Amino acid sequence: MAHHEAHHIEISKEQFVVPAKAKMFTLGAAIIGLLLTVVGVFTLPTDSSHSANSHAKPATHAGHDNHGAAAQEAHKVDPNLVVDNAGHETLFPKTTHKDPEHPKPAFTRFWANLLVNGYFFLIISLAALFFIAVNHVANAGWSAAIKRIPEAMLTFIPVALVIVLVVLFVARQDLYHWAHYEHQNIAKGAPGYDKILAGKSGFLNSNILLFGTLLFVSIYFLFGLKLRSLSKKEDEVSKGDLTNFRKSVRFSGAFTVIYGFSFSVLSWLIIMSVDAHWYSTIFGVYNFATGWVSALTIICCFVLYLRSQGYLKIVSDEHVHDLGKFMFAFSIFWTYIWLAQFLLIWYAQIPEEVAYYYDRFNDPQFKFQFFLNVIMNFVAPFLILMTRNNKRNPLVLSIAALILITGHWNDVYLMVMPGTIGSAAEVGVLEIGMFTMFCGVFAYWVLQALTRRSLIAVNHPYIEESAYHDVGP
Amino acid sequence: MGIIDKNVMLRNRGKMLLGVYEDEEKVMAAAKELTGHGIPVLDVYTPYPLHGLDRIIGIKRTNLTVIAFICGLTGFSLAALMIWYMNVHDWPMNVGNKPLIFATSWIPVMFESTVLLTAFGMAFFFFWRNRLAHGIEPELLDDRQTDDRMVVVVEAGNVNEQEVLSIYRKTGAVELRERLNGTQKVVG
Repeated sequence: MAHHEAHHIEISKEQFVVPAKAKMFTLGAAIIGLLLTVVGVFTLPTDSSHSANSHAKPATHAGHDNHGAAAQEAHKVDPNLVVDNAGHETLFPKTTHKDPEHPKPAFTRFWANLLVNGYFFLIISLAALFFIAVNHVANAGWSAAIKRIPEAMLTFIPVALVIVLVVLFVARQDLYHWAHYEHQNIAKGAPGYDKILAGKSGFLNSNILLFGTLLFVSIYFLFGLKLRSLSKKEDEVSKGDLTNFRKSVRFSGAFTVIYGFSFSVLSWLIIMSVDAHWYSTIFGVYNFATGWVSALTIICCFVLYLRSQGYLKIVSDEHVHDLGKFMFAFSIFWTYIWLAQFLLIWYAQIPEEVAYYYDRFNDPQFKFQFFLNVIMNFVAPFLILMTRNNKRNPLVLSIAALILITGHWNDVYLMVMPGTIGSAAEVGVLEIGMFTMFCGVFAYWVLQALTRRSLIAVNHPYIEESAYHDVGP
Repeated sequence: MGIIDKNVMLRNRGKMLLGVYEDEEKVMAAAKELTGHGIPVLDVYTPYPLHGLDRIIGIKRTNLTVIAFICGLTGFSLAALMIWYMNVHDWPMNVGNKPLIFATSWIPVMFESTVLLTAFGMAFFFFWRNRLAHGIEPELLDDRQTDDRMVVVVEAGNVNEQEVLSIYRKTGAVELRERLNGTQKVVG
């Protein structure tokens, strides 16, 4: 309403051209990351008896078999009691298989990292799609001006899906002890038989892992493509034609329902099954929160970048402020979910549940990162983004964004590493390199996707509302 | 708009010049014109919010957030104090051999208490600040300001009254009034 003679905002199409500097920077990050990854892989602490194809070699089976043996031995005493490495009975069944005698093959660390990054960017791209859908469903106006950014981000879904599928296909027996157990095919009552894993095998098996992941993410991506194409069509029809918008709302409604229900299953399959004996009913929400807050942060980063390059002329500090509020609010939401999972398990101290945190909270190897997780994903954004001025300051927002993205990478790292490679996990050249590479590739990919259509959805019915968006002084 | 203004008690003020409008665009134009001439606009009363008007007439941002922060901090500390007194000091309670002082298990209570006191505190201060309570006579400059009229208010005194009235007239006010000690007089 402020637009009358106060100020008139011109809404016009904007064609984004990736600046040479941005190309150089993103591709440079990707290449440097790749080099560091290669260096990291070649300098992995190798053990002569272990190779990349560990599951083909009987010698390295011992590392995995340890669990089966321990579980079997435990059956004699109490199903909840497990014999630890030193031969002592412990209350906590170990979910990580830390056995100095039989370490996992060194190359597993590479696959575990690929899983961390692939999954992290998968949930970010999915959350970007969810952002579009939820804004359609909520009939939101303010976000119309920036909707082309999540539209570009969702094009990364197939890339992340392929990476995750490759990891699952090639390295599932190294990463998931249940997959290795499945491979062993132990008969009921035979030595090494695991009642829990056998009971879960109807869901937790390689077929469902591979085809379930493929199916779920493909369905999400089809919705993403549909919403993208409807948005593109809207640019070409005359202003005021609501056909495409109405269709988008309907598809968005269907997507939010499907995604809301099935995303939990996806997170159980890919990440929660790393600790197959353990389960958490809030895990799906927790993973959603991680992806959602990261996606909002990255949307904010792209808005800041494009504005600094003179694009997105109708996007004002008001939109940036709203994105800052989102980052702030959903950091708290993430913490809420994180704490809800942690606190109940910590307090109840049921052995099969607390094992998960025993590996992270009590283990000196992950303890620092465990606390760092809360500091980076809650304390830092909470304090930095609390005031209004900070939320409107691009520099402060960028710093908070950097902390949040790294922090949530650390979050996914902590979900995956203790259960897959345990004592071999470490943030080294490989980890930093691969994360840098993924960031570079993702940024380049999204910038390229942004060039494929106007940055401003000029015919969106709410584009004017978005242009004049004002949250007040 | 009266929500943010410091002196919400209009009866405490001196002579005021009122421009009554029936169109929001004209109100915006009048506000711009007045502030452009260096005439401070005391307030504008409208039946619905006019976005951007608060910036034009230079209304300061609400301090309610500061109140919220203080109330939240109070709730947080009170909860911590309460738990400490009950479960540590007065009657040490061993629950599953968990540490007595460990903030993690205190968080739900501290969180709820923070939210509770923030919400109550903000609601209380909001009503108190705006004199919104039973028994308080509302000070309407025009009975229709809650319906379809908008009232621009300029405080007489340091301004050229004729200039203000001519700006009102020029920008399309349907009625011009003076208000002194609670009585109004139509001047054009």
